[in-house]
Amino acid sequence: MAAPCRRMANRSLLQFFSHFSRTAVRNTGFREFSSNSVCRASLQTKTVTETATSPWTLVAAVCLQRLPVISADLHPLEQEFKEMMLQMELERSLVSDHELRVLEESERMSRKKADDYDSDEEGSQGNQEIMLAQDMEDAWEQKLKNFQLAPRVTADIDKDLTSAQRCLADSLFLLAEQQVGREKLWLLPQTQWQEGETLRQTAERALASLPAAGFKATFLGNAPCGVYKYKLPKAVRTESTVGTKVFFFKAILSDSAPPTSPSLLWLKKNELQKYLKPAYSMKVDRFIINM
Amino acid sequence: MYPVLRKVSITQQAFVLNPALTVCRARPSVQHPVWCTDSVNERQYRSMPTHGIGRWKYLLPKRQSKEKKKKGRQMRPIVAATDTAYGTLNVMVSGYDMTLVEHYSQYIHNLCHRLGIKVSESYALPTKSTEVMLMQEVGTKMYVDAVLKTHERIVQLSSLNTTLCPVFMEVLLKTQPEGVQLSVNEHTEDQFKARFKARPELEGLIAQINH
Repeated sequence: MAAPCRRMANRSLLQFFSHFSRTAVRNTGFREFSSNSVCRASLQTKTVTETATSPWTLVAAVCLQRLPVISADLHPLEQEFKEMMLQMELERSLVSDHELRVLEESERMSRKKADDYDSDEEGSQGNQEIMLAQDMEDAWEQKLKNFQLAPRVTADIDKDLTSAQRCLADSLFLLAEQQVGREKLWLLPQTQWQEGETLRQTAERALASLPAAGFKATFLGNAPCGVYKYKLPKAVRTESTVGTKVFFFKAILSDSAPPTSPSLLWLKKNELQKYLKPAYSMKVDRFIINM
Repeated sequence: MYPVLRKVSITQQAFVLNPALTVCRARPSVQHPVWCTDSVNERQYRSMPTHGIGRWKYLLPKRQSKEKKKKGRQMRPIVAATDTAYGTLNVMVSGYDMTLVEHYSQYIHNLCHRLGIKVSESYALPTKSTEVMLMQEVGTKMYVDAVLKTHERIVQLSSLNTTLCPVFMEVLLKTQPEGVQLSVNEHTEDQFKARFKARPELEGLIAQINH
């Protein structure tokens, strides 16, 4: 698991750095994000003049994910290995205090039942306990039987794409159907950037403006994790609008029972491809970590 | 006459040496002199005059023996946070199941090595035992039902880039096992001091001196 993670980290870092170098000067949205104060000072004069001339509309989108609730099922090889290790550990282990007590008491019981039992011999060992170890074990077994485990996989909830409780072993991503231009598309919730706010605030606004309100989310970091550039077809292109740039921000869902709505879907990474456009999905796949 | 003879003898010696050279190069072995063997990797036997020919460390001046400092007494300086990196962070992993807690903390440590995050320390806090007491069905006395032990492991990172932090946190959250709590906070001197045992006699003496 660590190996793919490193590749992912490198990729997203490279993406981030290349993004910075490409758009540091042109992109007005990054006024607040520059890490170097010297850089910021030199950019101030430039960005004031460039606000009018940047032809790209900026949009911030949020990639909200629900983390896996239970661990994933084991691979058959992993299952076999686990059983073998448990067996080996059992065979190598020493007897515990409780087991010693059980053995002693069973011996004592068998001696009691024998005909030549002398209770005076037992007196030196101390008083007999009120609760025998075997009785305690029986009581524990009863408690275990009474305890109901929640099911790991519920087939009908898994098929309901709008529920956030489906597929507890995987991480799910929120997809919303939004109006973009003239058509309705399935994409990560987004809204357009307004003057005077940071891109992260735009992403938070995108989350809050969804039809089902009240998603409690924690944003990871102030910097976007991915970008998607969309150039409008030549017929629609004008001097002021060449296309849109979508910046993605990652967020993690904090509450366990979020509000549901028919226009919102919770999908696993492999199901995303069915709903997203191919170019968009290629860029989104780069920063979605699936473990 | 003599010089002539000498010349002859020298040339004869040269001839004698040359076949020896060729023989040497073909089959180097211990009996041959040093200049034709691999002297770096072969050590000479103790009775050979060249025994110990490669030794040089005994010629260096004697270093003073390292003063043994106990590793934990001095605190490592706490790195301050800058604009682009967090300071000293403590990633604390705690839970009831020791195998899960230990394996998860080892996973975090290996992940940091992979991602290039410097790990300054990795230690365990003493386990805390919690006794679960249940009320008896008959009467008001409580009896001990179970003893739960909470294990804690801390991985201390010396500096974490703010660009790497979201990726790191996401991986940590996605691989968190069930029953294990994860918390990340800044390292303070109080946390460091809390690991040591209290010394009542020393504190008593200090109080006496102050009064």
